[in-house]
Formats: sequence, C-alpha cells, structure tokens
Amino acid sequence: MKVSLKWLNQFVKVDDVSPETLADKLAFAGVEVEEIRRLAEGTNLVIGHVLSCVAHPDSDHLHVLKVDEGKKYGVHTIVCGAPNAKAGLNVIVAREGAVLPGETIKKSEIRGLTSDGMCCALYELGVDKKYLTEKQVNGIEELPIDAPIGEENVLAYLGLDDVVLDLKLLPNRSDLNAMENVAREVGAVLSRPVTIPKDPIPKAAKGDFAVGSETPRCPLFAVREVRGVKALPSPKWLVDILAAEGLRSLSSIVDIGNYVMLLTGQPLNLYDADKLPARELIVKDDYEGDFAAMDGKTYALKKGDLVVTSAGVPVCLAGILTGIAPAVTEDTKNVVVEAALFAGAPIRRTSIRLGLGSESSSRFIKGINPDQSERVLDLATQLLIDFSKAAKVLSAVPYDILSHERKTIPTSLTYLNGRLGTSFNLSEVKEALLRDHMAIVNEEGERFSVVVPNYRIDMSGEADVSEEVIRLLGFSAVKSVLPSVPLRIEGGYSPRQKDKLAVRRYLRGHGVDECLTYSLVDQSRRASYEYLVVGEDYEIKNPMTDDHQFLRKNLLRSLLDAASYNSAHQEKDLALYEVSDVDAPKVSGLHLAIVLVGNEAIEGRLETRPYDFYSAKGLFEGLAGLLGIAPTRYRLEPLQSAKEEFHPGRSAAVYLGRTLVAVLGELHPSALKNLGLSQSAVGMEIDLGALLDLRTGLAKASVPPRFPSVTRDLAFLIATKTDYEEARKEIAHLDATISEVEIFDLYEGANIAPGKKSMALTITFRDPEKTLKDEEVNAIMKRIIDDLGAHFQAEVRQ
Amino acid sequence: MDPIEQVKAIQEKALSEVAGASSSEELTRVRNTYLAKKSELTSLMGLMKQIPAEEKAAFGKVLNDARDAIQAAYDAKSQGLESAALSAKLASEAIDLTLPGRTLCQGRVNPYWIIVDEMSEIFASMGFEIVEGRDVETDHFNFEMLNVPKDHPARDMQDTFYITDTLLLRTQTSAAQAHTMLAKAGKEPIRMICPGKCYRRDDDDMTHSHEFGQIEGLVIDKGISLADLKGTLELFVRKMFGEKREIRLHSSYFPFTEPSVEVDVSCAACGGKGCPMCKGTGWIEILGAGEVHPHVLEMGGYDPKVYSGFAFGVGVERVAMLRYGVDDIRRFYQNDVRFLKDFSEK
Repeated sequence: MKVSLKWLNQFVKVDDVSPETLADKLAFAGVEVEEIRRLAEGTNLVIGHVLSCVAHPDSDHLHVLKVDEGKKYGVHTIVCGAPNAKAGLNVIVAREGAVLPGETIKKSEIRGLTSDGMCCALYELGVDKKYLTEKQVNGIEELPIDAPIGEENVLAYLGLDDVVLDLKLLPNRSDLNAMENVAREVGAVLSRPVTIPKDPIPKAAKGDFAVGSETPRCPLFAVREVRGVKALPSPKWLVDILAAEGLRSLSSIVDIGNYVMLLTGQPLNLYDADKLPARELIVKDDYEGDFAAMDGKTYALKKGDLVVTSAGVPVCLAGILTGIAPAVTEDTKNVVVEAALFAGAPIRRTSIRLGLGSESSSRFIKGINPDQSERVLDLATQLLIDFSKAAKVLSAVPYDILSHERKTIPTSLTYLNGRLGTSFNLSEVKEALLRDHMAIVNEEGERFSVVVPNYRIDMSGEADVSEEVIRLLGFSAVKSVLPSVPLRIEGGYSPRQKDKLAVRRYLRGHGVDECLTYSLVDQSRRASYEYLVVGEDYEIKNPMTDDHQFLRKNLLRSLLDAASYNSAHQEKDLALYEVSDVDAPKVSGLHLAIVLVGNEAIEGRLETRPYDFYSAKGLFEGLAGLLGIAPTRYRLEPLQSAKEEFHPGRSAAVYLGRTLVAVLGELHPSALKNLGLSQSAVGMEIDLGALLDLRTGLAKASVPPRFPSVTRDLAFLIATKTDYEEARKEIAHLDATISEVEIFDLYEGANIAPGKKSMALTITFRDPEKTLKDEEVNAIMKRIIDDLGAHFQAEVRQ
Repeated sequence: MDPIEQVKAIQEKALSEVAGASSSEELTRVRNTYLAKKSELTSLMGLMKQIPAEEKAAFGKVLNDARDAIQAAYDAKSQGLESAALSAKLASEAIDLTLPGRTLCQGRVNPYWIIVDEMSEIFASMGFEIVEGRDVETDHFNFEMLNVPKDHPARDMQDTFYITDTLLLRTQTSAAQAHTMLAKAGKEPIRMICPGKCYRRDDDDMTHSHEFGQIEGLVIDKGISLADLKGTLELFVRKMFGEKREIRLHSSYFPFTEPSVEVDVSCAACGGKGCPMCKGTGWIEILGAGEVHPHVLEMGGYDPKVYSGFAFGVGVERVAMLRYGVDDIRRFYQNDVRFLKDFSEK
C-alpha cells in the first residue's frame, strides 16, 4: 500500500512529523515501511515565463532565454539546451543556489554567456521517469498558460509536494490496504485523533436490478445502478491522489472506482449496464469455458473459478478481471457498480493459475472488511453524482448471508500480562485498546471484553488482543527472565548426536575439511555415484533452474564438485567431507562423504605422501574403531560397477553383515578427467546412520596377560595375486597360541621373480597358562612354513 | 724397594694414565694394564709370601686400596668419556630449527557448521533437546499445523519447492514444532531446538539462497511468556555476539505466533552508535520469534488454556555473515578452501 502523506494528513495530522520518524514508529508497531519516496524535491524554485529565446552564438543546440521570474526576482538570462525551449513557455526555474536531487545550481558561464539558473524537466526534480511521457523526459516541463508567474511553491502547484510511504504489509494487516485504516493506525501509533468524514447518503430510487450468488465463496454481493454518467476528466485533487498512489487518471468514472477502493479497501467493479445480457448479476463457481476479458485475451475457465454471470454468460472473472463486453468505456452512460465479498482462496488459485493479479484481486486474497459494502456503494455513487454528472441512482436488494455481528473477545488483565511477561495496569491496557479503535465492554474487575472494529478481520482471540496491547505500549515493557523448566525434561545431546559430533571431530583432527553443499542437483548428477541409495529419487515439480531439480541420493558427487571447484582455482591437495541427511522415497538416512585429492595435508611439505585407497580405508577403520565397531563385524569386497567412476581394481564395498554401509575407492581416470582434477583422488561414501545405529556393548576391562608372549618374524615369497588377508587368516588359524599376525613389509620389483611378492609378517604367540618354550614356538613356525608352502607355494626367505 | 712403596708407585702411575686417557680405547688399555688378571698390581700379590706375617694384613689393605682407587678413577673417567662422546654425537646431530614442523593439519570447518554447533552447544547447555527433522516434509507439518491452511495468503511469504501436492521441501525448520508437540503427547513441557536445511524458491544472489540453514527453537510449559522469550534470546545473543549486546523486539507477523516479533541485536561493529554495517541504525535484524499461537498449541495437542510457549527461528548463514563479515551467502556452498582456511573450530 502506498500512502500519500498529503492525503493521510486529511484524516490525521502528520505534517509536523518527519516521514522517517513516522516510518520508524510504524515499524515498531509492526507496519514496515519499505520505502519513503518524495514525489519531487528542489529548493529555490520559481515559475517563470520565457520572454525570448535565441540560439546561442557558439552552439548548435543551446538556446539563450530571457525568463521573467515574477515581480520579486525580475528577468534573468538562462542558457538552456532543451529542444522544446521557446518564447512564450511557462517553465520551472531552479534559481541560483537551488538544491535539486542530483545537483546544486550555480551561476555559471556556458560558452561565454552567463547562465543565471536552470529551466527544469520534471525528472530533474526527482520525478520517476516511469510516470512521465517521452516528451517530458526529453525536454523541459511546459506548464499551463495560466501558471502563476513568480510562484515559489512550485512543488505544491504541481501537486508534487508529497511524500509517499510504501508499506510492506504482512498478511495479517490486510486492513491497511485502505487509506482510512492507515489513518486509524497512524492515529493509534501517534496517539492522535483521527477524523474520517461522515459517509454521504445519496438519494436512490428503488430499482429492479437482481443479484445473487450460487456459491458460499461469495456470501455478499451488492450493487447500485447509476444512470446518466459522463466520463469526464477527474478533478485535480483526485488526479494528484491517484498519481501519488502510482495510478494514472483515466476518466472520472474509472478514477472514482479506484479512489474508493484505495480509500476504503473495498474493490469495486463497474459494468456498462446497457451491455449486460440481462438485468441481473449472479455469482457462480461451476462455469467451464472461455472468457473474453477486457485485456483482449481469452481465458479458459474451470470449475472452481469464481465468475459473475448475467443470463448465464460470464461477464467478470470475479475480483480479478472484467469481461470485454460489459467493460466501461468513454461512451458508457449507465453503470452498475458492484461491491462484493469473494473468498480469498479461490481468487488466489485462479489468479496464480492464469497469471493475473490486480489491486483488487490482491485485496480479496488478503481479505477485506465484510461489513461495508453498502456505505462504499453510497460513497461511490455520491462521487459519480459529483464528478461524473450521474443523473439517477437505483438501489438493488443485496445478496447477503453474513450475520455482520461484531466480534467480541473476552479477556483479562492477568491473561494479557501473563502472556506478555509485563506488568501493565488496567488503565494502561484500556487506553491502548481504545487508541486502537477497539471498544471495551462488560468490565468486571480486571476482566473485560474487547469489541473489534469490523475492518480488523485478523483478530479472533485473546492472543490477538495481547499483540495489540504490546505493539502499542511497546516491547521495552517486556521483562527478561529465563524459563524455569522442570528437571524431569531431559535435554542436551542424545548419544547418537554425541557420536555424530565425535565422528566430525575425528575427521577434522585428521586434516579433513568440513563442507556444506547443495542438496538439489541437476539431471546429470542424479544417478552418478549411486551405490548406497539407488533408484527412485525426489523430483521437484516446480524447480527454479535445471541445476537444482532433484534431491540428491549421495553426497559424494557434490563433494567432488567442490573438489573440482577448488582445483579450478589452483588449490591442490584437498581433503573434504560432508555429513548430511539423504532422502529418497524409499530410504532416508545420514550419510558421510569424504574426498581426498593429491597429497596428504601434512604441513611443511618436506615430504609428501599421496592419498590412496588405504587413506580412505584407514579413515573408515578409524571411524569404525571410534564407534566401537570391531573389524570382525565388517568386510570389504571388490566394488562391482560397470561405470567409470571408481578405479575397478582399487575400490571396495564395505558390508556389515549383508548390509552395504560404504563404498570407497580411487577415482577412475575418466572420472578425474571429467572433473578436471589433475591430481589423483579418492572418494568414499558411508551410511553413517547405519554405523551410528549399531549397538556396541559397554567396554569390558581386560586383564593383562600373566605370561610373556613370543614374537617371530617371517618373510616369504608369495604369488602377487594372493591377498594379505588370505595369508594372514591362514596363519592365524593354525594354532591357538597365535594371538596376532601383522604385516610389516611388502615388496615387489627388483630381485623378486615376476608374479611374486615378498611379504614379511610378525607373528605373536601367547599361551594364557604358561610361558612358551622356544622348542614349542619353533614347532609351530615349522607348521606355518609348511602350510604356506602347501597352500600358497610360498617360499620362506632366509 | 719396599713392596708397599712399589704398590704406591704403580697406583700413582695408573692414576695418572687413567687421567691422561683421551679415548675409551686408551682407557680400556690402561685398565687392562693395571686391573686385569695379569697386571702389574696382580703380580705384586706374589710378594705377599716374602712379607712377614704381622705385616701381611697391612700390605693386603694397601694393595686393595690401590686397586679400588684405580677402579674408581677408571669408572669416573669412563663415565666422563662416554658422556663427552654422547655430547659430541648430539652436537653433530643438530638440525635446522627453522624448517617447518610436520603436522597433520587440523581440518577446517565451513563457518555454517561453526554456527550450528555453537548454537546447539549454547542451547544444549540450557537443557534444550536437539531435534533433527527431515528436509522432505508434508504440507501438513510445514504449513497446516503451523496455522497456514491451503490458499492462505501467508503461503505467498515463502515460495515452496513441491515434490507432490502434499510433499515438499521444508521452507522452515518450524515444521519440527508440531512433530515435537505430537511426540510429547500434549503433556510434557518442551524445550527444543531444531537445526536444519530449508529450501525456498529464491534466485541465488548475494543474500538469497534456494537452500539455507535455519534453527528453530520452541519452549512450551505452563506460564511461558514473552519475558521468557526475551530472556532466552538475550542470553543466546550475548553468547553468540558478545556480552555487551542488547536486543530489542518489534512487532511482526508469522502465522504460527501471536504476538509475533522481529528481534534486533545492537550492532557489534559500532556498539549501537550507527555505522554502515547496521545502516546507521545501531541495530541489526537477526531473527523472528513470538508466543506460540493458541491454535498451533491446540493442533499439537496442548491445551492453550493451560500451556503457553514461545518459538523462534534464526538463519544460520545470516548469523555467520554478521559474525564473520561474510559478504555473499553463496560462499557457504562453494567450499573454496581459501575461504575455509579462515575457520577452524576449537
């Protein structure tokens, strides 16, 4: 809602308050002022008359004017570049010292001639070019012949001495879409009296125009028939008000419709009475078919759209757009003025579907005063009589199934102070409510009832009354205490949340950076790195862009993008992770993804070690250990995938029982290329939720062994294709005294036969009951060597 | 020569040779000369036979004393030589102390997470439960249970990503309110926060993002008023932005609170005097809040005649931007490590 302060001042005195102060006070009461716009600005202005205009001797486009600036200032020479400058014009002169929005006027020399002031175009006074014609933009303003020469209050003469507050209305204050109610609000906020003129009651004869509604979405429909109107130019005061509100004056009939809506908040619709198919208007919501609107377009209407019909023909898309046939034109003589109440929901739906919106539809959507149709029609009718020369008014019986009962809300001082955390007394509260145009009835001690004005459709209960009190009395009255909450409610982090924090801390402690990436991805990414969660995903019906259209099923792809972004910015050696929920129609969970690029993030860099498969595996093992998941509970298997995402020989799937809980691997060279990564990279995605959900028992203290252990090293040659784990398991199971088998060296290359590798293990022997003798260990070692020979053709290296 | 004199002469010679030894090899040779089985001192034992019986004891003592003295001198010298050798070795091992240390760097944190973690910490320490909602929500919980029925004009305040007619990406973590209320069956008091990602159909620019973080807070009990809200938020703001920060409330509108307020915090950059950061007002808008709407309580199973509560919602990136002077919300989602390097969490 745009509020002209000049217009507002007719109802409540605001001309002694600066617009900024007013905006500030309104903001605290919950009415935000988005913009304070001065229609025009300028000091030292005067209306002048161009006595003569000659070409500047040294220029092909400048003129030298003699301008009569009235008795007080006399005649001055002004050099002017406007193409429309000519003798006989009445112009706006910015005199020496004038301060305009963009400049300060000084006496100056222009190509050898002294210019004493400037002739102005309106935009030079700050008028937005969108309100001006091309001619006005290209030249100086041409004032009417009767403009008062020497007049110094030029902005007032132009009707531009106004300031407009653009209110950003929140959905609960739809009442402020009416100037009268803005005045009431300002009066309440400033504690000033508000004068709303009494409504006129024009004489009306009984008419026979019939109205009705066949839908509960239109409970009220009223009209007046006004005959013998003329589309005259509107009076200046009306033109100025509309201009300040950002509307162009069209004709008095249309202008009056707009003016009454701006004043009262009630949208009016006008029909040419002679072009309606019948002397009736009936509202329906079951019409299906085409509708030819006054904007020249045809719209396909569906059931549910509210339409006003006449003899079954749609003549108006209710609250949104009139039909082309009955629209008021220059030649209209008889009008039907409609003031109705349409439900917001269907208007909102229709308006969104057809992409149509107007001042009127937005008022219905937000909600209007249901209680003023008759007075608004009277007001409009009187104006049509006054300014469109209406000859005759015919009344009509309104369709009205509303009760029009005033809302009364019982409340009490205890309730209000209790909700607000204040200690107001009864008279303070009553004063605030009265100031807010509420009435107070049924007083009984500290209990009373509040009668709500009909335009405050947002108010329905006691809580609303509390808001009115606090916004007018000010939030500084609210005390500050901390809620005392019973001990029986448990707070703080849950065990699972603590584990999640520990996991994140672990990763940061291992040099991995925590990231945040978008959850919405594009078509090309939706099915990549699809391992833990596969298949169906959530697709956005109404995406903003193709880039963010599907809810991701993994985090790895997003993190790889982050790596790619950094690589493109010459950042090498990256370690990134993200923890986030992953949601798909059939499965949802908490995931962790890790991307390692280039070398380990060791500061100093005198020595570097590239990240590889084992870096990621190590992080998985570390996390599992952190969460108390023993290595025996999970196993790695080669990752089977036909996609060129992971290195086929250096990637694995991790299973807990039968459940896939992680995939990890070095990236496929094609993947690196596609991502623009110049260094090698490792990726891992873990179903962190599954790991967190695993129940691990309480730790049990173990008793340190009583007898010492014996260790022996064993190095042997074995086929390259034999995995360490196979050899380890084979040895570990050979004897009950073997408590640990660990690898300490692995070598392939020079001095080793092709197809073979040298593996060196440390084997630990321990008997809980006694100290092992050398001979006993030697015997087991021999069995180990024989067994490795038999199973793997391994040869012991001496 | 008197055997005792002989012993003393050997002792003297031995002691001087021990003292003069400059390496452990030399010292070993000295020891072998004087203390080994076939050393000079041992050979003097042979003289014992010639010594009269009454002097044998005295001679034996002299001999033993000499041996002990040489042994002691040897031990001391040997220790001295070892420690000198060690010192020399250590001296030769001196390194360039100015070369960089070898540390596994601490991973950096996107400041988004610093704010989420710190806020969670603050409220957890106040006994708040931390609730985790889901990004995919139903229209019912995201809107209807928050007093925003279908076709309500307040829906225009947030443009929503829909998956189906009834399924959407949550536009606000407030969606967690009703879940929590229903879970507590309308009987238990509630103190919770819900941090999470929200989605709105906004064009991404410096201050808007189609994805953003929000932290919802909800307290419900008997007798909870705006004063409790003010006290709680004051505490939070001071922990987050500094002890000297003040807050002020002004009227606003959210469908699920009544009264609704916007909360401003006094500008940390200028201390409230007015500067470019706060656009000269001395205050910065930080979050929205209010007393829970009776209808929302009712739908959540709480009798509004018995229970009341407050709720608030704060934007994660907004807090991070104010606190760290981040100029563009998109930086949180780029994960440029040159940006991240400024942030490591203690």
